[in-house]
Amino acid sequence: MSEQANNRPVLVIPCSGIGKVHGLISREATYLVADEMAPKETDTLCLALLVKRDPEAVEAVRKQQCITIDGCPKACAEKNVEMAGGHAAKAVQVTEAFKKHRGAKPGTATDLTLDGWAIARDVAQEVADEAARLCREREVRE
Amino acid sequence: MSAEMTKVGIVSCSGEAIPEGTISRLATRRVLELLRPDNTVTICLPLFLAGNEGERNFAKTHPTITVDGCPKQCARWGTEQHSGPVSGALVISEILGTAAIGCSRSLRAASRPDKEAIWTVAEHIAAEVDRILAEVTSVSTGQSKDGTECACSAPIPGRIVTVKGAPVTIPGLELIFRQCLARSIAADSNGITALLDAVKIYHRILPEEEPEYRAALLQAYVEFSREHGPENK
Repeated sequence: MSEQANNRPVLVIPCSGIGKVHGLISREATYLVADEMAPKETDTLCLALLVKRDPEAVEAVRKQQCITIDGCPKACAEKNVEMAGGHAAKAVQVTEAFKKHRGAKPGTATDLTLDGWAIARDVAQEVADEAARLCREREVRE
Repeated sequence: MSAEMTKVGIVSCSGEAIPEGTISRLATRRVLELLRPDNTVTICLPLFLAGNEGERNFAKTHPTITVDGCPKQCARWGTEQHSGPVSGALVISEILGTAAIGCSRSLRAASRPDKEAIWTVAEHIAAEVDRILAEVTSVSTGQSKDGTECACSAPIPGRIVTVKGAPVTIPGLELIFRQCLARSIAADSNGITALLDAVKIYHRILPEEEPEYRAALLQAYVEFSREHGPENK
């Protein structure tokens, strides 16, 4: 990780999978973190830019710390970050969060129910906690 | 490739950083779920890199439309680079212009401008699907061996309303009602004008018949709203 990562926000990159509710949860969890829980410590980036190999996006995931959120075991977000030369400091799986919400009806790929929002908030909290830990580590190193 | 077998692929950029990415994702879902459910399929764009050979062949096995939020056109570029050439490419910032300014990235903050933008883009995608299917139809025989026609040339399923005491089938009326509900068009004398305009696209109404249709459609829409309105969800 470059020294330049020190004062840049942690990038939270969801898969935003279009086929299932898990993708929507990954996306909305990202916005909960970047807009509400840790707006100063985190930011997001279009995963599609990595598919395109956009030079600025590739440079960003190489220089900044990343947390990926994937909806399914294909782990598109994590894999695309790594294929671009970055590294996911933490790779969160939405399916893991479902284990704490047995029997939940989270909604669809288009809309979340209250159960779905609860799961998204759990995922977001896990990501926000990890981002805070990464920032603390940076401060200690400085 | 015959139209009977063809499903058009739609690949959305779903860009997380901008509201147009959210619009691309939700408009694509709208087409898949509601506007052209029998004629469309999708795939996650990042799978072209992270997936297997079968997933990378998506654009080779389906005529594909890309829906991009911004002029960087990541979905188009990614699809053509990793999967195959596309049959159509839409860019939301070009479709909506400044209309996307008031839109949100998250569903939590979605409001009327978001809903309007999603419908507008969804209709553009559906029109592009129809164009591609029409092209496929024009190069195929147009009819299969058993005489059945492809779904895109079949009439849109209708709903019956009573006009001047006689039953009249209005093509696509169920979909029009759903669309009007989603757009918060009121079931009253103000909303009926927008509803009537939408119906006229699919069903010829003579000027002298308009008052009767107006009354019949309003009554049907009031009943539909009662059954399907937000308070019943």
